[in-house]
Amino acid sequence: MSKVIVIRGPSLPKGEKPDGGRYRLLLTTALENLFEVKRAGDAVKRLFDRGAVGMKTNCIARRNNSTPVALVEALGDVLEESGIEANDIVIWERTNRELEAAGFKLNASNFGRRCLGTDSKGFGYGRKLYSSGNVSSLISNILTDLINYNINVTVLKDHSLAGLSGGLKNMYGAIHNPNKYHDDNCDPFAAHVNNLEPIRARNRLTIIDAHRVQFHGGPGYDSRFLQPYGGLIISNDPVAADRVALEILEKVRRKNGKPSLAESGRPVKYLASAEKIGLGTATMEKIALNILEVQAGGRVSRGGEL
Amino acid sequence: MKRRLFLKCLGCGAATAAAVQTDLWPEVVGGLQNACAFGYTSELSEVEARYYEKLPEGGIECRLCPRHCRITDLERGYCGVRENRGDTYYTLVYGKPCAVNVDPIEKKPLFHFHPGTTAFSLATAGCNSNCKFCQNWDISQSRPEQTDNLDLPPEEIVAICKNRGVPTIAYTYSEPIIFYEYMYDTAARARREGIKSAMITGGYIEKKPLRDAFAVLDAIKVDLKSISNEFYKNYVDGELQPVLNALVEIKKAGVWLEIVNLVIPTLNDSDDDLRRLALWVKANLGDDVPVHFTRFHPQYLLENLPPTPPETLERAYQIGRAEGLKYVYLGNLPGHPAESTRCPKCGKILIERQGYRISRNLLKGNHCPECQTEIPGIF
Repeated sequence: MSKVIVIRGPSLPKGEKPDGGRYRLLLTTALENLFEVKRAGDAVKRLFDRGAVGMKTNCIARRNNSTPVALVEALGDVLEESGIEANDIVIWERTNRELEAAGFKLNASNFGRRCLGTDSKGFGYGRKLYSSGNVSSLISNILTDLINYNINVTVLKDHSLAGLSGGLKNMYGAIHNPNKYHDDNCDPFAAHVNNLEPIRARNRLTIIDAHRVQFHGGPGYDSRFLQPYGGLIISNDPVAADRVALEILEKVRRKNGKPSLAESGRPVKYLASAEKIGLGTATMEKIALNILEVQAGGRVSRGGEL
Repeated sequence: MKRRLFLKCLGCGAATAAAVQTDLWPEVVGGLQNACAFGYTSELSEVEARYYEKLPEGGIECRLCPRHCRITDLERGYCGVRENRGDTYYTLVYGKPCAVNVDPIEKKPLFHFHPGTTAFSLATAGCNSNCKFCQNWDISQSRPEQTDNLDLPPEEIVAICKNRGVPTIAYTYSEPIIFYEYMYDTAARARREGIKSAMITGGYIEKKPLRDAFAVLDAIKVDLKSISNEFYKNYVDGELQPVLNALVEIKKAGVWLEIVNLVIPTLNDSDDDLRRLALWVKANLGDDVPVHFTRFHPQYLLENLPPTPPETLERAYQIGRAEGLKYVYLGNLPGHPAESTRCPKCGKILIERQGYRISRNLLKGNHCPECQTEIPGIF
């Protein structure tokens, strides 16, 4: 049975963005619960052996609605405290331009956490074509050559074609030809992109920031369609993480008077395709959903609704 | 620009097929040095695209090709080279070719269009198809950030051609439809200077932009990849009918047209496939449109298939001729007699070819010197 943690913090004052301390608390609590360990560091050790750990961000929406710098920094702190060398932590995206526009500071040096786009000097895309189903792509050399593991750190958004932009869709940023794979609501392409051997072998954890859910008009930023949700979705099953993310997105859409994604002509079919090829669980009944609420004093309560 | 720096530029481009043919080097090197003075650039263009509509609910719909991609903010179309920025649609490759070369016009192939001359040939990254047999997939299936691009505006291309006596510009290699604005403006400027333009295309384009392009194009070569829609669905990621429509439009417009059919073992090489293609061409375009059956080499996603046997191509030739097509050629078979142009009436060899080279051209104007039969084309 796949396990997904949805963890929410105390309500934030209107307009306030979560800071590193909040992200750290949510991350460590979620990791401890996901792996049923006493310390987040033990979860990290269970996930990663030796080698470099990448964090694939989603920076298409610039500073407005991209993977938050504070989340990535908090996650980096947790990894470092668990024994991963700073230089073995690699924050990455398609382009340097996108990373910078989202507020990240580039660093391709051998000191400190690295932060770089696939278009950085010396990287680019490999020469080997990988295929799964109808997908055939070259893959970012950052993924194939620089990192041993990957954490998919993205944001929960509506997507004009895919319906849902969560973890699976974010890995389009690892291939050289994402524009070829948007037909038919990205089905089964989003599944097969994640089934490309280097991606499937490295992805270990999905973290979806759902502090503010863009429930319509995505994946670009549209301030008219943002709804606070106040939490994170975390799982080591990439399909299950997205399945829960979809539940939340649909709920927020309903609350705001929007029709379901299927009714809007954007059914999220690629999750079923992903389950079919063995990437994970897309059936809610087969997902152990743990909903955690962190109170202002730090106390954690279980249960509640999505 | 000094030769050393120019060579460095070429070195950058080698990975993306931007290589100059060495035997043509002396003829064009000066011009390309000028081109390279603009240098390789990491900057993409931001020129507003033509042929799109803003949607009332936000986003845009591209009307350049039959895909009609609907694109929200900061997303790109299927081609990968057009991006919505705040509901204005931009081409990112205007003046940014990633492949520049001077080729024999026969390489396009155009056999009835100024034979024996050269064409300044260029392409940008991107394509509106995804042919599993693409021979230039490393540029056609890439986004412009992934290729080394020159900064080469239309006026500079025309100046190079004019200064160096290159009579034709060919928009080729990837798919010129996706760099339509760049092609159109270059061709318009070239026409004013007496330089011809040839579009080498898959023909997957909407009627309006195609018709508009007739005003500036002198020749079009269309890859009719198969006469089967199933083939287009499975191996091209496209549809057949819009290509057929485009062919009819081109013929009606009177722009010089030639057709290529890449014959791929087991996929489109049956007698029935070849016959239906020949019959369609004859019925809809006429018997005097040159049809080139060319040899497939294992590429990209079809590396599992063998090269087309010469006998298969010869069978295609026989079928084409038997169905009444007057100008059937075989391609990628250097030295084969079916590379040459024969008079359909008396059978005399009029233009003898060895690969891309013309060894004899006996045409008298547009006529067979033996029986005076008029040969269609622009000679």
